[in-house]
Amino acid sequence: MEVLPEEDFEEDVTVTDDEDDDEESARNLESSLSNIRITPTVTHITKPRPRVALSKCPSSYKENSSQEKLMLAMAENFRQQYVLLYPDRKALLLCPVNECGVQKFVSTTLRSTLLPYPELYDWEGCASFVADYLSLELLDPPFELPKQLSSPTWVLQTQRGTCFDFSIVLCSLLLGAGYNAYCVSGYATKEMCLLDQSRQECPLLQPQIQDKIEEPKKPIKKYSVKPPRDLQSNFERRQEEKEQAEAEAAALKKQLDAERLQKERERPPPDPLRGLRVHCWVLLLAGNREIPENFFIDPLTGKSYSTTNENFLGIESVWNHQNYWVNKQDCTLGCNEMTFDLGDLSKWEYVLCGQSLSIISEPKTLEEPEDEEEEEMDELKVFEMPPSWVTTINISPADMEMRYPGGMKVIEYRKAKLEKFAPYLLKDGLVTKLTTYKDLDCTQASTIKEWFKHRSDHLDERELHTDSNETTEHFRPGRSDALKYHRYLTLVPETERQMDFYSHIRTDGLARRIEKPFEMTETFEDRTDFLFYRHAVYGKQIKVIRAGEALEQRPLQRVEEHFHRDHSKPASKDVAERIFMVSDRRIQVTFHLEDERIIPAWLNFIKPKEAADSQKAQAFTPQMVSGFQVDPSTKPYTNLQLYEMLVELMKEEENVELCIRDSEKEVRSILSSREKEDSYTDLQISIYNPTRNETARLHMEEKERMAKEKKQRQKEKELDLLAPSQVRLGLPEVLTRQDALQLRTDCLNEFKQQLFNKASLIQSRMEKETEELQKKQQWYQKNYLTMSNEDEDDYLAYCSDAMFRIHVLKMRLIRHKERAPQKYLALEEKLKRHPRLASHLL
Amino acid sequence: MNWQQDEPKVIDEEMLKQAIEEQGPQGQAGDISKKEGVQYEDVLQLRLDYRNILKIYHLWHFTSLTKLQLDNNVIERIEGLKNLTNLVWLDLSFNNIQVIEGLNSLVKLKDLSLFNNRISVIENLDSLRDLHVLSFGNNAIAQLENVLYLRKFKNLRTLNLAGNPICEEESYKTFVTAYLPDLVYLDYRLLDEQTRETAYTKYKYAIEGMQENELQEQQAIEAQKISNEELQLHKDAFVEFLNGPQLYDSMFDEDPDGEKLALLPGMEELLESFKSKMEALCVQIFDAGLTQHAQRTAEVESFFSCSHEAVADNRQKAAQIAADFESSRRQKILEMQQITDVELLEDHISLCQEQASQLSETLLSLELQLVDQLEDIFKDFERSISDMVGGFIEYVQGIFAQCRDLENQHHEQQLEIALATLEKVVKNELEEEIPDDMAMLLVDKDTVTNAVSASHDIHLLKIDNREDELLTRINSWMSGLLKSIHDEEVKRNRKRTSEIRNYVSYVKDELEDMRLSEHH
Repeated sequence: MEVLPEEDFEEDVTVTDDEDDDEESARNLESSLSNIRITPTVTHITKPRPRVALSKCPSSYKENSSQEKLMLAMAENFRQQYVLLYPDRKALLLCPVNECGVQKFVSTTLRSTLLPYPELYDWEGCASFVADYLSLELLDPPFELPKQLSSPTWVLQTQRGTCFDFSIVLCSLLLGAGYNAYCVSGYATKEMCLLDQSRQECPLLQPQIQDKIEEPKKPIKKYSVKPPRDLQSNFERRQEEKEQAEAEAAALKKQLDAERLQKERERPPPDPLRGLRVHCWVLLLAGNREIPENFFIDPLTGKSYSTTNENFLGIESVWNHQNYWVNKQDCTLGCNEMTFDLGDLSKWEYVLCGQSLSIISEPKTLEEPEDEEEEEMDELKVFEMPPSWVTTINISPADMEMRYPGGMKVIEYRKAKLEKFAPYLLKDGLVTKLTTYKDLDCTQASTIKEWFKHRSDHLDERELHTDSNETTEHFRPGRSDALKYHRYLTLVPETERQMDFYSHIRTDGLARRIEKPFEMTETFEDRTDFLFYRHAVYGKQIKVIRAGEALEQRPLQRVEEHFHRDHSKPASKDVAERIFMVSDRRIQVTFHLEDERIIPAWLNFIKPKEAADSQKAQAFTPQMVSGFQVDPSTKPYTNLQLYEMLVELMKEEENVELCIRDSEKEVRSILSSREKEDSYTDLQISIYNPTRNETARLHMEEKERMAKEKKQRQKEKELDLLAPSQVRLGLPEVLTRQDALQLRTDCLNEFKQQLFNKASLIQSRMEKETEELQKKQQWYQKNYLTMSNEDEDDYLAYCSDAMFRIHVLKMRLIRHKERAPQKYLALEEKLKRHPRLASHLL
Repeated sequence: MNWQQDEPKVIDEEMLKQAIEEQGPQGQAGDISKKEGVQYEDVLQLRLDYRNILKIYHLWHFTSLTKLQLDNNVIERIEGLKNLTNLVWLDLSFNNIQVIEGLNSLVKLKDLSLFNNRISVIENLDSLRDLHVLSFGNNAIAQLENVLYLRKFKNLRTLNLAGNPICEEESYKTFVTAYLPDLVYLDYRLLDEQTRETAYTKYKYAIEGMQENELQEQQAIEAQKISNEELQLHKDAFVEFLNGPQLYDSMFDEDPDGEKLALLPGMEELLESFKSKMEALCVQIFDAGLTQHAQRTAEVESFFSCSHEAVADNRQKAAQIAADFESSRRQKILEMQQITDVELLEDHISLCQEQASQLSETLLSLELQLVDQLEDIFKDFERSISDMVGGFIEYVQGIFAQCRDLENQHHEQQLEIALATLEKVVKNELEEEIPDDMAMLLVDKDTVTNAVSASHDIHLLKIDNREDELLTRINSWMSGLLKSIHDEEVKRNRKRTSEIRNYVSYVKDELEDMRLSEHH
């Protein structure tokens, strides 16, 4: 398949135009998309690049610093030497121009960045992000290095670039995340260069390797019984096995042949440019971040490959943000034999000597040369790689969420097409759609699998098999009907379907309900009545009149129920199985097996006829019951017990019928609600999603506003010292200087007066107290001879009290006198700074 | 109010019959039960209120009774209820009972009402550990301390004491609340948090002291239990009282001569070394016994788990076969009921009968196979367990022989010392004073020798006895175990065989019935 840019162009326009539309047209878009037949090579853009607005670029983009100039000179020197030494080899990518037309050394184009998104913290996340976020521009011609290498910021802004741009962006992210990452310039196969995955299996379709839990082998115990002797002929068995093996081998061979033929047919025509197609990818070296082994990442797909992968045909050079190495190893046989020990001078030639070698080379090679190096370094005054000229890389959360250019991406695989959409882009919440086809040309769809996100009906996954027309749906927990899984042909009730439920949420513990046209099977889990299985068989539909309404209803013919063992009852009284043969008017009850028994007890009842118009109800007779008891010595049931059992069972039969009718009703309601949900789906918006959740955003804004107001109020509340004096002045709008001075003196005077008043108050109290004490003392002096002991005690108590009070007052006065001047000064200072006075007082 | 004039009665047959009929099933069920007759031991509930009963009588047949109402009578003594061990609910309110008695066998009782009687002391309820609800209202309980008796009922949640003299006391409510902390309802009311708190603070110290005592008792009981368990383990290992000097002590317990001889000069050291050596040997037996016991237990467990596994496996297979047969049989019977042609039916019936015989053969051969398998492993088990026991016995015998050697040695040394002392006594060379007991012995050579050898004989006897005891017990344990396993297996086999026979004959009878009914 050749690249035909002109032809692809039109289709691309339709796609990209739609991308700009808002969500309204998203559904149309989807249908139109599925109608468009996109050729597998349309994974890249051929539209001309948008122009850089030079005025908006930072200065570092438009000119070179002295260090960079020096670097460029050194690179030029290196290039000349290289051309001289290796005249046969192709030119190196050393100093391409950037989007502003300025020459920059490739290493400085790398800008190691760690973005604040958790998914970009490991290499898988980074690689798939870059593959998703950018769209590819092909190199033109495909066997030459690009002349321009844009900055990662520009690439991310335009969301398009060559494989070199892809690698630069990915490498920047990986370096930021702490990986030992390098850009690799080299040669790869056509499929790799053109991002043509139409010969690969879709990764989503590859069978997931399940860890088989090996059944713990039963330890052979000492007293394990020997298995019964096998009386079959060994010879016959061997003969049989042999035949079987032969048949299997033949079948396998046939299959292999068919597969080989198939492969032969699918093989692409040989590529005339094989080995010449230039490609750029990323190399991750082992060591950092617990990477055990070196490997490649193809930035176009985000997949990892081993360094010996046959798709990579040769390497010219590798570089990171610190240095640049040229490969000196032979690549005629691909990258199979290459070693990536960049410190090995016989295999890799560096541009900048010495420096940063220690980081890259492995620890063992590090030890010896280090000493020499250090000495050398001192002599050489090592030139360090100038810092990156690229400004910080930024990706907005909105862009991060959109992920794909225009919010969607289509990838063609072998017999499959994968469509990816940003969440909330499509109205029905579709995020991934995988269509598999029966034929290589992708015309006949065989299954359509869709993944959804944020749907309010909790639908997670839907798969449609076009052959059987069977749809299966998976739901997340959270539905009111606890539906977990639904398999159906149509949404019409009473047809074949299977519904699984989250049984622990449901009160009836229903786990699964399988319906066939005349059957319904329900299984339950963890019920208190130990029921775990109910199977109902219906007859032909008849008309039933219930509550004045004529209903079409299928009569129940037979209901079978199974129960787990209830250990609170003896086994022979614990029902294991009940069969209501409604149409035969019979009920069969089988009890659980007793310990060490192999045959259970059972009872068969024949229901007595109910009272009809003229006839009386049939009386119960012992002949209506038959049964078997394992142990002939147990006491047989009395007639009363049997009768009571029968009455109980008849009641149960009615209950069971009600249960089954309820189940039918539930199925109908689930189906109708599913129909409604499918035709109109709401997308759920998390309360933690401020960009989408309107109410949450409003709430937040409201909260912020309230907080602001509160702050404001608090400010206002602060005491206005000037208010009383200002009122006396008649509240002038603007204070004159004179007024201001007046205000100040008033205020100060008032405060002085206050302080003075307080002091005199304390003083007067003290005097009063002292006076009283003196009086008392005099009185005591006069009368102490005639006083009783009690009075004397009183007096003494009073004295000590009074003394204490006087002392306290004295202390207070002293403190007040001490602090009054300070307070006065503080007020003065405050007034000086007061906003309304400050201007006048300075 | 004519019941007041009625004469006091004793419960009799007629009264019971009437009550059962009144309270039994009604309607069609009643007819059926009347026709069939009611067995007294099947009755679950009985109400005998307002009947002027003086004496409880005739109730011993009602063994499965769970609820009995005897309220509003004139009963004076609680009697005749010994057999009603399944009672959960007993109402004796509004009677003339003075003493609580005769309730000790009703251990399942949860709800007991003695409301409005003349009881003055709460007592005689010790065995009724499961009591939830107790009603003692309107009685003559006068001692507040009597309430403490109720502390032992850990499940008691509802208590009624209203209308007793103790309620007059001011601290009644707080006292009861404090001492019965698990109580939820007291005298028709829910006990709220506040009452609890005040009660607790008021009686804090008394209760804490009491709890301390109870805790100590509990701990003592537990310690006793642990030591009992340990002893039981030793007994199971057949080496009880061998982990110390107990054997040595028992040797000297019933040895009057030995006691006297022990006072001889120089004997103390000899005895000391003898004791320590004996003890060391005993401990050897003890340790070996415990390890051997653990091994035997593991062996027995392994055998049982394997045999149970095999039986369960076999049972599952057989049950599956039987269930398959049963479901196909039912299907067939339904089909046959549709058939009207006699000959065709006859064919079907004979076919079915053949299948039934085939089933019986399959099941029996399966059973036979299991019997063979079990017999094999049983033989292995028998061999290895008897090997174990034999090995242990040999070991123990070896050590006991060492014990005897030690004793012989001791005997010789003792004799030597005794004779030497005798010589000294005779020569009057002894420095210390000799006690009188000893003087009696140290008369002449024969007396001394006799005493020493008597002591020696007793010692040997003790050792022999202990050895014999160990051997007989371990042997009887082994034979008992093997016999019980064998018997169990025979029982199981009989049960299974009879089960199969029973079922097959049932199936065949059923077919025969069908054939007969068709012919008629």
